[in-house]
Amino acid sequence: MENRRLPWDWHDGMLPSSTVLHEESMVESSYSFLLDRSQPPYGVLVERGTSTYGGTMFDLGPRGRMTFGQFCMTNGTRFVCDERITVGDYCLLAWNVVIMDTYRTPLDPLARRRALRGEPPTQPRRFVAESETRPVAIGDAVWIGFDSVVLPGVTIGDGVIVGARSVVNSDCEPWTIVAGNPARVIRKLEAPDRASWPTPPG
Amino acid sequence: MTQAEGSHPAWSDGPPGRWEDGDVPTAVSLGEGTVVTGADVFKRLRSHRNPALVIGSHCTMELTQFSYGLDGYIEIGDHCLFSNAVLMSELEIRIGSHVVLGWNTYVADSDFHPLEPIARIADTIACSPIGAAAGLPRPDVVCAPVVIEDDVWVGPSCTILKGVRIGAGAFVEPGSLVSIDVPARGRVMGNPARLVGNV
Repeated sequence: MENRRLPWDWHDGMLPSSTVLHEESMVESSYSFLLDRSQPPYGVLVERGTSTYGGTMFDLGPRGRMTFGQFCMTNGTRFVCDERITVGDYCLLAWNVVIMDTYRTPLDPLARRRALRGEPPTQPRRFVAESETRPVAIGDAVWIGFDSVVLPGVTIGDGVIVGARSVVNSDCEPWTIVAGNPARVIRKLEAPDRASWPTPPG
Repeated sequence: MTQAEGSHPAWSDGPPGRWEDGDVPTAVSLGEGTVVTGADVFKRLRSHRNPALVIGSHCTMELTQFSYGLDGYIEIGDHCLFSNAVLMSELEIRIGSHVVLGWNTYVADSDFHPLEPIARIADTIACSPIGAAAGLPRPDVVCAPVVIEDDVWVGPSCTILKGVRIGAGAFVEPGSLVSIDVPARGRVMGNPARLVGNV
């Protein structure tokens, strides 16, 4: 993409050079990339038909990479990514969802104290600390309800529905409904045949 | 309540109710002494119904968002206090009098997308820029009215899901996600909310 400015953008800013958008995707605003520190070839990769609206935030560290599949929709999800987050096709991510592959700070209190004291006087201030990352993978046709949190290392299978305000701290079997804090399986879904999935136009 | 008891002198010749940040939209009916604050609270009022929002008298709606689908309808009684709540209606939300909704509490009468996988995949395609340009219809979504009866207290960060009826005088503890009916004067908590006692 030559012009890194979105024509409909309400925020006066440009897309970072590491953002790769399919020409038939829809990113509402460059504001979503305010915290994006990722590097080329890509940090955020958005496939065909996917749309990101509202307060969606891509909070990517320098080595963070995240991919969106086709025909996903998100409105106000926050992605905290220092290594890898993948979202499959046909996913719905509701508002205030947080998906993180890192806690950003060391778990050990003494190491955390050292990291907090070593805060570099950069402008704008960016917190840099070595902390464990565990990639998050979200399958196809996943629907995550509003205000839910997906913790580092979690794999969510195809077709999973995560109930509103859940906290997902362990892997989810495909075609289940999970809910609660921590999220538990509350129902199983019948897995539809891939051949019967609707096909998008074009 | 009669006019003599209820009306404050400050309201005697003013409007029945007011929105602090502009003119009240025509689909909104505010009762006497009701005050609504927040600049964007009617931004998502897309309902075709008129009135789409009826608020009784002497209510205080602080920064409470009203978000509608095309057939949404919300009715609120008298003397309610909502702060930073979000009411999302695709069908009907009925709230009684003397109801308190805490900060960051969401009330929705719909799930907004189909539960059934095939219909949901079709919905993601219909909602995408490509589907919208092709004019694909969105599949039907299950809606069920929400009823919150008189004197209910709902704490901050609660979620009231579709089809729920909360009985009169019930107490919903902070952070609860209510997916089942609550009996009158019941006390519920948790995600999902369970009955833990009575008021």
